[in-house]
Formats: sequence, structure tokens, C-alpha cells
Amino acid sequence: MKKYCIAIIVMMLISMISEASNEAYEKAMHKELQQMKAAKSPEELQKVANGFARISEMMPEEWLPDYYAALALANAGFRIQEDKKEKDRYFHAAKQHAEKAAAISGNNSEIEALKGYIVMGELSVDPNSRGQSLSPLALQTFGKAIELNRQNPRAIILMAQMELGMAQFFGQGPEKACGLVGSSLELFKKEEAGQAENTLLPTWGKDIALKMKENCQL
Amino acid sequence: MKALFTIIIFFLPATLWAQTQLKGTVLDVKGKTIPGVSIYLKGTYEGTSSEVDGTFDFTTDAIGQKTLVFQSMGFKTVEIPVELEEELLIFNPVLKETISEMNAVTISAGAMETSDEKRAVVLRPVDIVTVPSAMGDIIGAFQTLPGTANVGNDGRLFVRGGDASETAIFIDGLKVGNAFGTTATNVPTRTRFNPNLFKGSFFSTGGYSAEYGQALSSALALNTVDFPVRNQGDISLMSVGGGYTQTLAGEKNSLTASANYFDLSPYQSLIRQNFDWERAPYGWDAEISARQKWGKNGMVKAYLHTESNGMKIWQAMPGSEDRGQLVGVQNHYTFGQLSFKQTAKNDWSYYGGISYSNNVDEFTLDQVDIHNRNQVLHTKLAGIKGFSDRFSVKMGLESYLFDYAETLVTVQESRSFRDHHAVWFSEADFYVSNKLILRGGLRAGHSSLAGQSWLDPRISLAYKFDHEGQLSLAAGQFSQMPVEQLRILSTALQNTRADHLILNYFLTKNGRTIRAEAFYKDYKELITYEVAQLLPMPIGISNLQQNGQGYARGFDVFYRDQKSFKNTDFWVTYSLIDSRRKFAQFTEMVQPAFAPKHNGSVVVKHFIAPVKSQLGISFSLNDGYTYDNPNLPGQMNAKTKSFQDLSLGWSYLAKPNLIIHLACSNVLGRDNIFGYQFSDQPNELGQFEGMPIRLQAPRFLFLGIFLTLSKDKTANNLNNL
Repeated sequence: MKKYCIAIIVMMLISMISEASNEAYEKAMHKELQQMKAAKSPEELQKVANGFARISEMMPEEWLPDYYAALALANAGFRIQEDKKEKDRYFHAAKQHAEKAAAISGNNSEIEALKGYIVMGELSVDPNSRGQSLSPLALQTFGKAIELNRQNPRAIILMAQMELGMAQFFGQGPEKACGLVGSSLELFKKEEAGQAENTLLPTWGKDIALKMKENCQL
Repeated sequence: MKALFTIIIFFLPATLWAQTQLKGTVLDVKGKTIPGVSIYLKGTYEGTSSEVDGTFDFTTDAIGQKTLVFQSMGFKTVEIPVELEEELLIFNPVLKETISEMNAVTISAGAMETSDEKRAVVLRPVDIVTVPSAMGDIIGAFQTLPGTANVGNDGRLFVRGGDASETAIFIDGLKVGNAFGTTATNVPTRTRFNPNLFKGSFFSTGGYSAEYGQALSSALALNTVDFPVRNQGDISLMSVGGGYTQTLAGEKNSLTASANYFDLSPYQSLIRQNFDWERAPYGWDAEISARQKWGKNGMVKAYLHTESNGMKIWQAMPGSEDRGQLVGVQNHYTFGQLSFKQTAKNDWSYYGGISYSNNVDEFTLDQVDIHNRNQVLHTKLAGIKGFSDRFSVKMGLESYLFDYAETLVTVQESRSFRDHHAVWFSEADFYVSNKLILRGGLRAGHSSLAGQSWLDPRISLAYKFDHEGQLSLAAGQFSQMPVEQLRILSTALQNTRADHLILNYFLTKNGRTIRAEAFYKDYKELITYEVAQLLPMPIGISNLQQNGQGYARGFDVFYRDQKSFKNTDFWVTYSLIDSRRKFAQFTEMVQPAFAPKHNGSVVVKHFIAPVKSQLGISFSLNDGYTYDNPNLPGQMNAKTKSFQDLSLGWSYLAKPNLIIHLACSNVLGRDNIFGYQFSDQPNELGQFEGMPIRLQAPRFLFLGIFLTLSKDKTANNLNNL
């Protein structure tokens, strides 16, 4: 009886602790996600990225903290004006977090899409000289993301951005890219309907799709 | 039950007891505040980031012994043990910068790098292919860079008063023997390798690393593409030939195979030529390259290139009306290499490989057949140990086997030599800070044939200013065995020698690059000889001595701008080379024909979006080539008029996978003269008759259509959505 009692207590304790740590994890994640939504400047995004990096230290088996740290750094990189070196520094740091996330969760469509997003960032720093080597890489990465999950609206809208850029460069029509925008919007709708409101999973990207849709309707 | 209570009480305090406030300011070594530093208590979710003014302030519920961590990109992480007991704690930590490739100074003396990845670069690989005057030849593009001289009737790379043999070419760190095609005198040659094979290059015009040797003037290291991203086929159709390349890309390996054929006959039948061709140049080549990932960070690359080509030309003799001497050239060439790189534990990394080149030349000179065979076998193994982020040491062993043979086929006479070099090199890099680096190197070698051992020290340092510009200084000693054609006449010949001193300033910032360099090069132990006949081929060389010497001094400037004009990228180069040397058949110090004093070039590329085209213009000029006029006293006593060339190129992106490229050299049709060839005997008036050395045609016209076929997976996927 005594043994049985101890076993129950131990089990209760373990579940309490892990629940507590899970709760703390989720609480910390939600806090950072909130701040990420509000963050405007590269400095604020850097702080958010620091926050996610701290969570990743605590929960090394979760891919989401590194994923969001990478996303925040990539967004910071996109928001920096002019200073190419500084932009590159952010994309470089973003890449490191994305690689860490990918090492935790292999063949993850969301992480692949994010990697492609970072490549787009590096490409944007110096399109003239990096275009030749990086645009096929971005296309390939988004392609892989789509292959891993055809329902991933972020992979599709980012691919649509690349497609639109290429179509403009070669003077072709935007039809193909706009078709992708349409299907991504449908997937975003489906995602919203299918997910709990306080999900930790990635939900960003709809604003990109809506903006592109406006351009498509012009 | 008692146990449970104890445990619960043990866990409770953290949430019940009051909070500790931690605040302070994060500074760097210079006392400047650092924003965006992540500050947290290890093993908790508690933390914050420093503000724009470097300050931080947060409260925590945690108590007891904890570790406070300060972490930021580009700085070493600082950990401070803290005792949290509900009070105010103040920390003002100082973070030290880490030395990283992203922000550290690089040694740029003598070096010009092309790369997609690194920062201190002068050109990107794509720039090379699109220089109009280059006509797709890698070396053609380098001739628009500072420190080089354009010697149009040769085509090879001449660096700072050095002749073409003073530049050594390496692919993935391994020596390439006979990198240029064999040709007849005054018929320009090209590199044998396709520019698209390379992802970047490191071109040094002096003062280079102890890793490279047997080159008095310059080292050109080309790096092959790591991993192509997709399967594709490339078709090229050109006014002078065509080819096909197939690329197969896998996750961990890839294969590229290509075959090309060229024949200038159809082109030359359409456009009038200055040269009297019996058979226009023709040839084929085939190559395979394969790459395999090795473990997590390692890679193995294999590359095989083989080609065969030929030409027959009548070379007129001055003072004579007939067609002159018939020179036939047949060349067979194979180059293969296997290279690897791998990282190991404890900050060790290794690389190395083996390369082999076999070059067979068959010359026919007025019924006399001469066969030359040159083989080079190079093996190399090098390791780098990082002792910290500040200090690393590179060390390597190399072996070179040179095997050269000449056969006079008609009389079945032959001679040959074999030389083995054993080489050891070592180089240490020490970063005093992110702003200052010191590098010292040693290269020791031994030649079995010459029975000579040598030790070449090299040293360089670089300092980065606050405005991002950097100043580098490099000095070193360089040794090189004379060319095979001379060594076979006297196998006792020793190394020729050069000492370099280089001062360089380099700044690249937001689309603009400035590079200025001053240099001094001192030549010793150059070969001098007597020669019976110089042209069309040197014959009857005798009395070889190693008493030649000379110098080359000057400066060059390079400015590149991708920013000032929309969709326009241009660069301007000026090089002053003041060189004199006593060498070859000269008995006094002369300015060599391959070292014009003033050299300049301008390259402009402008992208015109509405017509999806890139327009390229390149203009090169120098103040003329020296030559020996036997009608005047002295040696190298005359100079040609200025060399000028305006080339235009137009690339049209018809479709994402179809490029049409049109280029024309010397659009203005200037009559460029590279020197004069004089008759052996004076005419009735006692004058030696001269004949100008020109290019084969005033202009060269190039039309190419490049089509890429790809079953792009991404594209297919998209269509299925």
C-alpha cells in the first residue's frame, strides 16, 4: 500500500511539474507572440527574438521557439532600411535559429517556408548580384515546403511573391502568381476555421496575401 | 503524506515570496552602450532585453543561486552568478566582441576576390561572364582588374610586369598544369575552363599566402560550384560552335556533364581575317564533375576535363612576299582532380586532394614535327586548427611531380626531365581584435632535379578603421622554377626569385568599392640566354645563365559603383606599372613588351528593364608596347602606338530560360599593333624590314543563344495545386 501510495504521489508530481512547465512554456510563448504582433521596429523585434531564444533554452525539444526567433529576426532584417551589412547580420542570425528548429523537427513545411523567407531576405539585400544564385534557391525551398504540406498557406503566398517578382522581371502577366494568392487565401480561411484561437502554431502571412490580392485586382 | 507536504513547501516559495529587481547598463569595451542584448536567468523564463540606450530593468520571482546571462549577436556571452534575495541588484557588464567573419577585418593586400558569400569582394561570379571584352573567358574579365596588362596577341594573364608563366592557376586548391590552350605565336589563347563551373575566385596580384608557391607574380585560385539546386539541361548555340550540359542534382550528391565543339572556319569564311589560315582553329572538349556530401560538413568533389584541338597557320616573314612558314598545332589535354574537405572535432578541419594534368603538343614547323608532353601531378593535404576565435594555424604538405619531354619526331631524337618537389607550408592567423589581424607564413620546398631547397617567408597585416575602410600591408619572398622549355636545356637551373611589398587600402560600403594599392617587386636570378632565331618560335637557345634581375613598381586604383546610377554597375581601373628587367635575350635592363606603363579600363553594365536587356560596354587602353628595333641603337628601343579597344555586349533575356548574347570587340576598328617582327637580314638599303604584329581580325563578333531546359519540380508542383 505504501509503495502504491508513493507511486501515485510521484506520478502526480511529475504531471504537476510537467503541466506547470508546459503552462509556463505556453504562457511565455503567448506573451512573446503578443509582443511580436505589436512590434514595429527592428529593435522591438530583436527583443521578441531574444524572448523566444530564452524559451528555446528552456525547452530545447520544441521547434516553435526557434522558429519564431528566426521569424522575428527575419522581419527585423526586412524592416531595416539602407544598411546592408546590418540586414545581412539579422538574416544570418535568423538562419541559425531556423537551422536549429529544422534540427529539432525535420521535414517541417513551416520551417522550410521560413527558410525560403530568409533566403528572400538575403536576396533583397543585393538582388543584382545575388539574384542568379539565390532566386532558384528560394523557389526550390518554397517548392519543398509546398511538397511537404500542400495546405500550408504561407509556403504558397511566399511562392506567389517570388513568382510575381519573376513575372514582373520577365514582363510576363501576373496570372500564375494571382492564382496562387487566391488559393492561399482559401487556405488561410480554412486554417482560421480549423485552429483553436490560442494556438501556438504559425498563423501569419494573411496580410501579405490580402495586399497581393489588391494588386492582382488592379 | 508528510513527504508530499515537504515537497510542496519546497516548490512553493518561488511563487510566494517577494521579488528581486535587476537593473543596469550593458557596455562594450569602448564604453559604448549595447542595445538588444538578451538578459535572462539561466534555467528560468525570466528575462528581458536591453533598451536602445543599453539599459535594462526587470524583476523576478526566482530566489537563491542563479546565473545571470548576457547574450548578443557579435559579442561573447557573459554569465554572472547571482544571489537573488528580494532586493535591488545592479550590474553593468562589459561585453567583448567576438571575432567573426561577419565583422572582422580581412587581409586585402594583393587580393581580389569574387564570391557570392563573402564581403571583401571586388566582383561577383556573374560579373565575370558578362564583361563584353571577355567574350566568356574568365581571364578576359580579370584583364579589366587593376594590376593586369592586356596583351592582346597572347591572351594570358600578365600581372604587374610579370610574364604569363609567373601566374599559377589552382582549382579547388590544386594546381592546374597548362591552364591555357596551346597556340601559335601571336594567336591569342583562352583558358580551357567554362566560367559557369566556378562559384568564386581569389585572384592575387602579389603578397599572397604561403599556401601558394611556384609563382613569382600572381596566384589565381578558382573554386567550383558546391551544389547545383536543380536538374537541368543547358544548350548553347554560338557563332563559333555549340554545346550541351546536363546537371543532375540530388540531396547529397550531384553530377554535371558537358560536351562542346567549336570550329572557327564558318565564321572566318564570312568575316575577313588578317591571318593566313590553312586550317582555322577547331576543337572539342568534354567534362564531368561530381560532388558528394561527406557527413554533416564534409564534401568530396571530382572533376575530369579532356579536350583536343588544332590549327594550321601560315606565318609570313618580314621582307618576304610569299606565304612564309606553315605552323601546325595539335593539342591534347586532360585534367582530372579529386578534392575533399571535412571538419573534425576540437576545431580541426582538413582539406586536400590530388590533381593530374597531361598536355601533349604536336607542332609542325615546315615539315619538322616536334612533340612536347608536360605532366603535373599534385597532391596536397592541409589541416587548420582553431585554438580560439582569435588564433588559428594552418599547416600542409604537398608533393609535385613535373614530367616534361620533347621529341623531334623526324629524327627520333628526344630529351626529357623529371622533377619532384616536396613542400611544407604553415601559416598562422592572429586577430588582435576585430580591427587588426596579423598573418605570418612559411613555405619550404625542395626540388630533386635542381637539388635546391628553399624557404620563403610571408607576412601580412590588416587594420580596419571605424569608417569600415581597411589598410593592409603584405610582404614576402616567392620562388619559381624556370619554364620547362628552358629547364630541359639545363637541368641545373635554380629557382628564379621575387620579393613583394604591397600596401593596400580597401573600402566597400553600400554598393561602392574603392581599392588602391601600391607595390614594389624585386626580381632576382632571372634566366638570360642567347638565341639564334626568335620568331615564329625561339630556336637555338644557348649560354643559359641565371644572372638576370629587375623590378616592377607602381600603383593601381579601382572604383566600382552600383549605386549612383539606376540599374547601372560600372568600374574604372588605372594601373601604373614601371618595370625594367634584364632577362631572356636582353643584356641590359629593358621595359618588357608585356609591361605597358599606363593601363586603364572602364566597364559599364546597364540593365534596361522594358526590353529585358543588359547592355555592356568595356573600354581598355594602354600607352603601347615596347619592341626591339634593330635599325635603332640599344635594346627595346621603340614603342607601338597606344592600344585601345571598345567592346560592346548586349544580353537579352527573351524568356526566363532563354538568353541571347551578342558581343563585338573593337567596335571602332582601331588598328592595334602589339609589336613588330623584323627580318633577319638587312635589305639593299641596309634596313631591317619590319612587319607589324596585329590581331587575327580587327573585330571579333560573337553571337550566342543559351537555352535552359528544366523540369522544375517547383513549377510542376505549382501547376498541380
